[in-house]
Amino acid sequence: MKRAWRWIRENSAMMVAILVLIYMLAPIAVIALFSFNDPTGRFNFEWVGFTTQYWQDPFANSELTDSLMLSIRLAFFTSIGATILGTLLAIALVRYQFMGRKASNLLIVIPMATPEVVIGASLLSFFLSPAFLPINFQLGFTTLLIAHIMFSISFVVVVVRSRLIGFDRRLEEASADLGAAPITTFWKVTLPLIAPGVASAAMLSFALSIDDFVISNFNAGAEVTFPLYIFGANQRGIPVEVNVIATMLFTVTVIAMLAVIFQQRRAERMAERRADDDNKATVSVPI
Amino acid sequence: MTTLRQRLLPYALLAPGVVWLIVFFVIPMYSMGELSLRTGSLTEGFQLTWAFENYTNAISEYSTQFFRAFFYAGTATVICLLIGYPLAYAIAFKGGRWKNLMLFAVIAPFFTTYLIRTIAWKTILDDSSFVVGVLKTLQIVPQDGRVLATSGAVIAGLTYNFLPFMILPLYASLERLDLRLIEASKDLYASARVTFFKVTVPLTMPGIIAGILLTFIPASGDYVNSTFLGGTQQAMIGNVIQSKYLVVNDYPVAAALSFTLLVIILIALVFYIKFAGTSALMGDDDEKETA
Amino acid sequence: MTHAKSNNSLRILMLAALALVASMALVACGGGGGLEEGANNDNVTTATGGDPAGNLNVSNWPLYIDDKTISEFDQATGATTKYTEDVNDNNEFFGKVQPLFSQGDSGGRSIIVVTDWMADKMHQLGYVQNFDKEMMTTAQDNLIPSLQSPSFDPNRDFSMPWQTGMTGLVVRSDLAPDVESINDLFDPKYKGKVTMLTEMRDTVPLVMAADGVDPLEATTEDWMAAIDKLQENVANGQIRDFTGNDYVQDMANGSVVAAIGWSGDAVQAQVDNPNIEWRMPTQGCALWSDNMMIPVGAPNPAAAYAFMNYVYEPENQAQIAEFVNYVSPVKGVKEVLEAKDPELANNELIFPSEEFTKNCWNQVSPPGDPAQVKEVEEAFQNVITG
Repeated sequence: MKRAWRWIRENSAMMVAILVLIYMLAPIAVIALFSFNDPTGRFNFEWVGFTTQYWQDPFANSELTDSLMLSIRLAFFTSIGATILGTLLAIALVRYQFMGRKASNLLIVIPMATPEVVIGASLLSFFLSPAFLPINFQLGFTTLLIAHIMFSISFVVVVVRSRLIGFDRRLEEASADLGAAPITTFWKVTLPLIAPGVASAAMLSFALSIDDFVISNFNAGAEVTFPLYIFGANQRGIPVEVNVIATMLFTVTVIAMLAVIFQQRRAERMAERRADDDNKATVSVPI
Repeated sequence: MTTLRQRLLPYALLAPGVVWLIVFFVIPMYSMGELSLRTGSLTEGFQLTWAFENYTNAISEYSTQFFRAFFYAGTATVICLLIGYPLAYAIAFKGGRWKNLMLFAVIAPFFTTYLIRTIAWKTILDDSSFVVGVLKTLQIVPQDGRVLATSGAVIAGLTYNFLPFMILPLYASLERLDLRLIEASKDLYASARVTFFKVTVPLTMPGIIAGILLTFIPASGDYVNSTFLGGTQQAMIGNVIQSKYLVVNDYPVAAALSFTLLVIILIALVFYIKFAGTSALMGDDDEKETA
Repeated sequence: MTHAKSNNSLRILMLAALALVASMALVACGGGGGLEEGANNDNVTTATGGDPAGNLNVSNWPLYIDDKTISEFDQATGATTKYTEDVNDNNEFFGKVQPLFSQGDSGGRSIIVVTDWMADKMHQLGYVQNFDKEMMTTAQDNLIPSLQSPSFDPNRDFSMPWQTGMTGLVVRSDLAPDVESINDLFDPKYKGKVTMLTEMRDTVPLVMAADGVDPLEATTEDWMAAIDKLQENVANGQIRDFTGNDYVQDMANGSVVAAIGWSGDAVQAQVDNPNIEWRMPTQGCALWSDNMMIPVGAPNPAAAYAFMNYVYEPENQAQIAEFVNYVSPVKGVKEVLEAKDPELANNELIFPSEEFTKNCWNQVSPPGDPAQVKEVEEAFQNVITG
């Protein structure tokens, strides 16, 4: 009895963890399940029968496909823009002491802490306001892109920052000692080493952009992104293709992530092996 | 020896991002503020009349929705903390080789669109579903009751959608925990419970607070969960703002409501910053950086 | 020494940035146009020009067309049509397009489809063009007599019905068999299982009519009284929600058993659940049309006319009617359907007789000047946003 209790106590955290993970993945399972459903009418919420027809041609619905393409294009450009701007910001914040650092920190943190509805609404007010009509910010792809880059920058900064902080400065110093100009050091030493961080930041902003609903709702004008399409379609019955695409998006990301994790493990294992080999070969010289 | 160029370098790096944020975040806030002081209509135009009464009218008329939003968000945050802490703890200390995988499992649901996830809950919780049937048998839900279109459903949705925002900062904080402190506490004969409450929790407080803020703030402005999972009586302030902007097209009042929400949240944020410093929100310490 | 100098240059930089921001703010304060001015177009143009075999952008409501008509139209005329279902709500659509229309820009659209009262509003604001009637004789000839002279457009100068419909009761005949009047929706035994529409001009007149007020004669007080009644029933939980088209989903799964709804929805929903039916309330229903219009700045009126003529051919309209299940505004459709689908041809919801709609009224707006209308609209909005 006591042993049972001990086992429970020791593993309770793990058990809760697994339960929570199941909870988190449950709706995904439902979505995936219903992508195989064969509804009789417009609505896809009661299980009728199994079919793979929607998997065979998920892009049949042209409106759905158009909105998905728009979202992907938007996310792609957002990712590029936000990653560049954010990485530069992160480098500045981590590496340099300068006046206005606290203010910059604040400027980056506050958007993350602002409710999306306020960001979306303020951008809409901005795009509609009289002063900016000369630039003619018509609501559409441009405004969406501007909005998406804006809210992604902060997240990019956070991710790249944490990578930069764990970074061994001595490598940069070594490069400088060997006569490399700062730019060269940056391109050939720093950037490759923070590349994983930059890559995750890029993926994060891509994901945030594709998923965004609230801010897009306010600033899309007549354009319809994938989430906006779903919102409209909800009124009249969401086509099964949406479930298929959602499941596909999920699966693709899972595979990508697993690949990254796998890659990391391999790299670690290889590093260990190399260290072992080095140890066997020579007497290690402390740097 | 620092040249002018070297001194200006950080500003050059900062400039693009900062300018973008100023032009597309700070100035829009200003636009919204200005818009909130106008009166008029979409067709007649909105004139700047310094209509501060937009604020008083808006707040008094929609105080219910404000309170509701904070109540739902607050409840969801507490539940997220209670559920999320054990999970973060498990990942940090018992995860071992599976750490990254588990972390990924936490973020993974994010890769199916927010709307679809919420709509999936609508399917799971609808009146004739299996889950609700079980809840009715267990008497948690009355026989003639329902789950959808109730506060419970909206809170459940908020909890689900914002759980990762709670778990990640908690995990970051827990991971940094120096296990030797826990060992030390045990060596001093503290029970597991005492160790937890007197050592672990205080040390992970920055993470807890970051998690609370990152969950509560977006949740209070949310309107998607109450649109899909709630009924008319579950409308949050986000719903009102959305309606005023996009349906009724009453921009001044909408802007006033939006600004008020922002100010309330900023006040809470100011308290936190005074307590922990801005970089703590980012999850690390100021001093460790420019070495 | 160097330190102080560099600080100075930094300080200059910051001042420059501040100045930039300040000047933008000043511009924002001063600026003209756009939000400041309203829309005021007094010259209504006639829509001409464009290439009937060119690009055509149509904005319409969701689920209002079958999946073949557009491609068949494109094949028949050589046009390339982009059909967007971005009209989900009249007000919402208005908000979306107003900034464009007020500048004379249609955002690429050559046809928009909105309900009568919004068509009226847009026309009053000068956002739509008049038809060149010579280009659309087929459409004008085939319009059913009862729709030829609506009050807001007596000569059909700028609007052409896409479909018309009736707003009444939609019920689950198996779960709420005895609902016959709007007041039955307030029956406590259906508490929490009733929804109504966010379209104020559908919901409120029906509620008023159930209490004996003639919607065509109602005063502002009558409207407000009905809105108060709605507020009560929201507060006590009787009304579950106010919806757009999404009530059908809840009705199909039984969460909602009775609602105010549109005739076409019910017919379409019977595929999901045969127990869903539309019922004519005892006091009558609201009749409305959604109208095609050519907005200002439309790039291709010629193709728009071609499209309107095309869908007004009885054969083509029959194909649309089979899918959409609303009331068709085109003559001769019933005969075409009688051969293909007799059940549909005899469906009173799609081809209602005069007798069937004898108590119905054309959808009305609140009375009075724009300020009074706005008062009513705001009161209603407050009820539906909880």
